[in-house]
Amino acid sequence: MDLETLLSYEWSLMGPEFIIVIASVILTLLDLFLPKKFNRRMLGWFAFVAVLAAIVSLLGLLDNQVGSILHDTFRLDSFAKAFKLLLLVGSALVLLLAIDYEPKEGLTEYRGEFFYLFLTGLLGAMIMSSSGDLITLFVGLELLSISSYILAGLRKKNLKSNESAMKYVINGSISTAITLFGMSYLYGITGSTNLNEMSGMLRTLTDPQYTYLLGLAFFMIFVGLAFKLASVPFHMWAPDVYEGAPTPVTAFLSVVSKIAGFVILIRIMVSIFSSIPVGDGTIPMLFDLQDFIGFLAAVTMILGNVVALRQRNIKRLFAYSSIAHAGYILVAFTAMSYVMFDSIWFYMLAYVFMNLGAFAIIQLITEKEGSEDIGHFAGLYRRSPILAVTMAVFILSLAGIPGTAGFIGKLNIFLGALMVSPSHYVLASIMIATTVVSYFYYFGIMTQMFFRPAAEETKLKLPAGTNAVIIICAVATILLGVMPQLAFDFLQTNFNQFMDFMG
Amino acid sequence: MSGVPVSAYLALALILFCIGLYGALTKKNTIIVLISIELMLNAVNINLITFSKLGMAPAITGQIFAIFVIAVAAAEVAVGIAILLSLYRNRKTVNIDDMNQLKN
Repeated sequence: MDLETLLSYEWSLMGPEFIIVIASVILTLLDLFLPKKFNRRMLGWFAFVAVLAAIVSLLGLLDNQVGSILHDTFRLDSFAKAFKLLLLVGSALVLLLAIDYEPKEGLTEYRGEFFYLFLTGLLGAMIMSSSGDLITLFVGLELLSISSYILAGLRKKNLKSNESAMKYVINGSISTAITLFGMSYLYGITGSTNLNEMSGMLRTLTDPQYTYLLGLAFFMIFVGLAFKLASVPFHMWAPDVYEGAPTPVTAFLSVVSKIAGFVILIRIMVSIFSSIPVGDGTIPMLFDLQDFIGFLAAVTMILGNVVALRQRNIKRLFAYSSIAHAGYILVAFTAMSYVMFDSIWFYMLAYVFMNLGAFAIIQLITEKEGSEDIGHFAGLYRRSPILAVTMAVFILSLAGIPGTAGFIGKLNIFLGALMVSPSHYVLASIMIATTVVSYFYYFGIMTQMFFRPAAEETKLKLPAGTNAVIIICAVATILLGVMPQLAFDFLQTNFNQFMDFMG
Repeated sequence: MSGVPVSAYLALALILFCIGLYGALTKKNTIIVLISIELMLNAVNINLITFSKLGMAPAITGQIFAIFVIAVAAAEVAVGIAILLSLYRNRKTVNIDDMNQLKN
């Protein structure tokens, strides 16, 4: 490859990625060479500005036609743009939380590492959302995974943090190996790693012998990716890792990492397995296996919501709640209605705001205490009425009460499941039932905040970054709940129902 | 390469993968668990190389993929060992059963 071909690529498509990669390299060097007493929080603001710049650069690319460079390994279609926007917004909010994070034993030496590892993780997620090739998908997945392994163990002297990182590495590597094994069969059958070429190859397959192998590949890839979604059967790491990891990292895992998981799931499943004919060749494999995905979605919702009932630790509780939310999104994925992309995107947008807002308050309240017992929320209304009310907004939204973003998100998924034929009545009713179950533990937190006497009456000091996150998230949660058409109009005008996903 | 059928390579990879999975799920020593994970990843590599050489549509892509898998697996295990070291400094153990601070 000579310089001319290298320059002929339309590199501007990768603008947001370039900004993130350059910022993370600069941050790594700065963290290495700056004197010890330099306040590493400044590096966090640098990272925050870089993410904002990437958002601006992505918004500049919104009007672009579908483009792909580097032999179609990197494609910028509307799916990539829409989900990259979510990833970037989520990461910007998480960075604000990380800047204010101050654990009991301090973080002085390692604070700088937070920021560039967040950026590299984000970079991996962004690469995943716009890659059109199994190899780049895999590399993006691993970039995200390896960064988050280190992030989970960043409190080096803290036993829980060590242990959670170790569990995360072991679970993550096993799931990666399983996914890869499935991918290797896919490669073997098609002889290519390019998603478009693969789906073209698979359309012509008629030999039923290959269908079994493809079925095996499907199961392995789905099981492996369930790790990133924290859905059944690979959910068991989530509570442990969420509890042990530093709070901003938990927020990162529950939002950015989960979105990235759904991105790669949709990329692989929709572009490959929806083009494999099975049976008499009229229905694609993905639809044939809907019952399987639906079953896992149901088990995920039931398990997440029921086990959350008996949690006393707020971070474990939110881990199970995030498992349940993965289940809700999987319902949309199972139904495969024509609004699937829109409803998943909207649910994740709502989830970014409500979950990160809740984590901002959790971080504020628990970081000074040694434990994360739910009892620390007791009497929050006395200590700080505004915090208690905003936390109530986030919790109501997570529970899906009308007037909040979470309700609209759930409603869309619910309608999507009923709109297709045959309708998924069972799945929709399980979703309603488990939502009702979730009220018990969500409202348990509310009881603590509003009706229990406070153990201490000290006023809470709000750092600027956390304050900003709470305000942005609360406003967005209510705004999207009252005027959801804002987001849907944005989707309509810019992404045109993701028509160019396959093309 | 002539005499050995493709299915033999694939069976070898499958057996290696299963041994790795079994080891990763049952062994008590974290180092052994990490080695078992390497076995699983190497089973993937055997698959990829076999398909790239003897598959239905032989192409170099599979070997490129295998190189990426090797590189990434090395990075993953390096991070795993580093985390295990910091855990060992605090706990003086590499036994998985002792990692029980976090539970319901």
